[in-house]
Amino acid sequence: MKTKAIAFFILFYGLINAQEMLPNVELKTLSNSTISTQKIASEKELIIISLWATWCVPCKNELDAVSELYQDWIDETNVIYYAVSIDDSRTSNRIRPMVNGKDWEFEILLDENSDLKRAFGVSTVPYTVIVKNKKVVYKHMGYTPGYEEELYAELIKYSN
Amino acid sequence: MNLSKLKFKILKKTISAIIFIYSGLIFGQEPNQSTLFSSLLDKLSVNFESNSQWYLNDSYVNNPVNPNQIGEEKLRTTNYLRLDYSLDDRFSAGLQLESYTPENLLNMSKLYDKDLGIATYYLQYQTKSLNLTLGHFYEQFGSGLILRSWEDRFLGINTALRGIRLKFNITNHISLTTLYGRQRKGFGNSKGDIFGVNSEINFSNMFNLLAQGNLTAGFSYVGKKESYERIQNESEMEIPELVNAFSSRINFAHKNFYTNIEYVTKSKDLRLNPLSPTSGVSFSESKTFKGNALLWTVGYSQKGFGLSYNFRRLENMRWFSERSYSYNVTNPTNQLSVNYLPALVKQHDYSLANIYLYQTFPGLTVENYQDPLVKAGEIGQVVDFFYNFKKGSLIGGKYGTKVNLNMSYWAKLETEYNDPDPTDYITSDNLTYNSEFLNFKNKLYSDLNLEIRKKWNRKFSSIFTYINLFYDKSYLETGIFDKVRAWIGVIDNTYKFGSGKSFRLELQHLSTNDDARNWMGGTAEFFFNSKFGIYFNDSYNYEESNVPADTKVHFYNTGFSYAKGASRLSINYGRQRGGLLCVGGICRQVSPNTGLTLNVTTSF
Repeated sequence: MKTKAIAFFILFYGLINAQEMLPNVELKTLSNSTISTQKIASEKELIIISLWATWCVPCKNELDAVSELYQDWIDETNVIYYAVSIDDSRTSNRIRPMVNGKDWEFEILLDENSDLKRAFGVSTVPYTVIVKNKKVVYKHMGYTPGYEEELYAELIKYSN
Repeated sequence: MNLSKLKFKILKKTISAIIFIYSGLIFGQEPNQSTLFSSLLDKLSVNFESNSQWYLNDSYVNNPVNPNQIGEEKLRTTNYLRLDYSLDDRFSAGLQLESYTPENLLNMSKLYDKDLGIATYYLQYQTKSLNLTLGHFYEQFGSGLILRSWEDRFLGINTALRGIRLKFNITNHISLTTLYGRQRKGFGNSKGDIFGVNSEINFSNMFNLLAQGNLTAGFSYVGKKESYERIQNESEMEIPELVNAFSSRINFAHKNFYTNIEYVTKSKDLRLNPLSPTSGVSFSESKTFKGNALLWTVGYSQKGFGLSYNFRRLENMRWFSERSYSYNVTNPTNQLSVNYLPALVKQHDYSLANIYLYQTFPGLTVENYQDPLVKAGEIGQVVDFFYNFKKGSLIGGKYGTKVNLNMSYWAKLETEYNDPDPTDYITSDNLTYNSEFLNFKNKLYSDLNLEIRKKWNRKFSSIFTYINLFYDKSYLETGIFDKVRAWIGVIDNTYKFGSGKSFRLELQHLSTNDDARNWMGGTAEFFFNSKFGIYFNDSYNYEESNVPADTKVHFYNTGFSYAKGASRLSINYGRQRGGLLCVGGICRQVSPNTGLTLNVTTSF
């Protein structure tokens, strides 16, 4: 049984580094039209997709922190940051006033029935990925204070 | 050989089979091996999640005020393995394996007790204008008031529909979804058939109406067909097999202003009659009742400022693909729910802010007292206000100050009943009722939440939260007669040391003279870097009160988490308060327990 457990872990580790295509999922915009992840990924070479929710404190901390640096990131790497909310109808009406009230400049998209969250296979938010040429090149689960510096370093790595 | 041994053998064999398949994939990834495997791997995405709990005995769990509800199985594990494979841009397929060994986690639905099984599977064909799915799918019409099939592993809900779904864009402005399916019920399917049609129309694209505005509309139909076996034979009334619901909605936005409205009607169905919960769920068979829902949102927001108002009225809107699941006492985890009716109140992360949390009562039930209590639904409203004091202003300081004010008010629908032949303390099957459309007087819950976020300098920031609430416990938690007025204060401080190292200290206090009276709590969390962190938190009820289960008890939790890439591992040890555990507006009853929890998630 023990060797099998070890085999399991080796196997997971072996597969973690595989590059993967961005899953193709339909999302909604704040004006209630649909847009696919394929489309947003084909418009720019480098994008960040970050899953968040209005009720998630670490998510808001992450977006607040990135918001202060975002203009510099755009200037340096030409990145677009998509903040994809997984709020469902319980809290989705808070998205628009919160985004404006907090003065966030990100592109806001809605994943109301967690289709993208499911496709990414995550159970908790925040979850942040860097997508380059439609491939997911970097993934990170959770937010800890100061993590934005690490994200920036990764962004620089993939911007060339 | 006894059954548990046999089960274990089957489990072992299945795991070996999975390992065998995976080892093939691993070797495939190595260079110079067949490229077939690596190209297969590129197209395959794998997600794995495992949640295990080991329930332990301690003085609290063993206390006679908390009868042991944990049962025989102290060590339980649930696992989800999801595989998705995209053949090309058009074809994809996938499946989800689930295992609940030896049974589902505490207070989760018993429907899922199975060692290992294929829970969901699908086959999908997708082009720009068409999407065809066979097998299991998740779908939501509008805001979910009429239909939502979804999955939440933490709550133990999976209402995926198994059948066929076709989505089709008729033009760039009109899309249509049609579906037929049966809802997932554990590892099988419910008996009710679900039919649905949904259309979304974008008028502003269609006619180029508004330069900066947007007008969309949506219409849906959902039908549920389920036969009913009559228990009493004296009534002549026809019991509908097919229950139909219709939704119409309009969204309008212009510059900084937006509004949307949705109205749902549900056709006549039986009334739940929870007279004898022990003998199973029963229905009154001589009268049927309609349901309806109205949701209205209006808001205005601009840079640094946001305001929104929400109104919602729900009457007899609980809806299940099998009628027998509509009683929340026998179905506390909301299995087989067709639609989604969350509580519209602000959701909090802080532990003491989750003790008195509103949950919706959107269904129709009659509770038998001297004066019967007709619960027909709820009515209420929420206001949300966001403001950002600019950098450099007096209140804003160097980094700006962010303020959020949220207020909500929820009431029971005002009803008048008429019962032609009641007996003592028991209402009859002939009971009917009338409800008032706009009457807010029967208050169940209200709250005011103020949140201020302040960054003091590059390293130090704080969040201040103040909550003032009213909670009608006698209505919201049956059997307990108490009304709670409380206020909660939270100070949440974070200090960043640089290079991902940080310390967070959160202090909470709940003040009330009602129910279990005052609480204090706190969390200390230290992150060594962005991957590894440890934490400790405690909620302590420090006063004598009439609620022995919550008097002078520490509810502590401690543990660590490690995250790398898309993988996360966390272990914690702690004591869980008995009562309502609410996440995402859905609450479930939990038994008091103490134990060790292990969560692992990974995807590749």
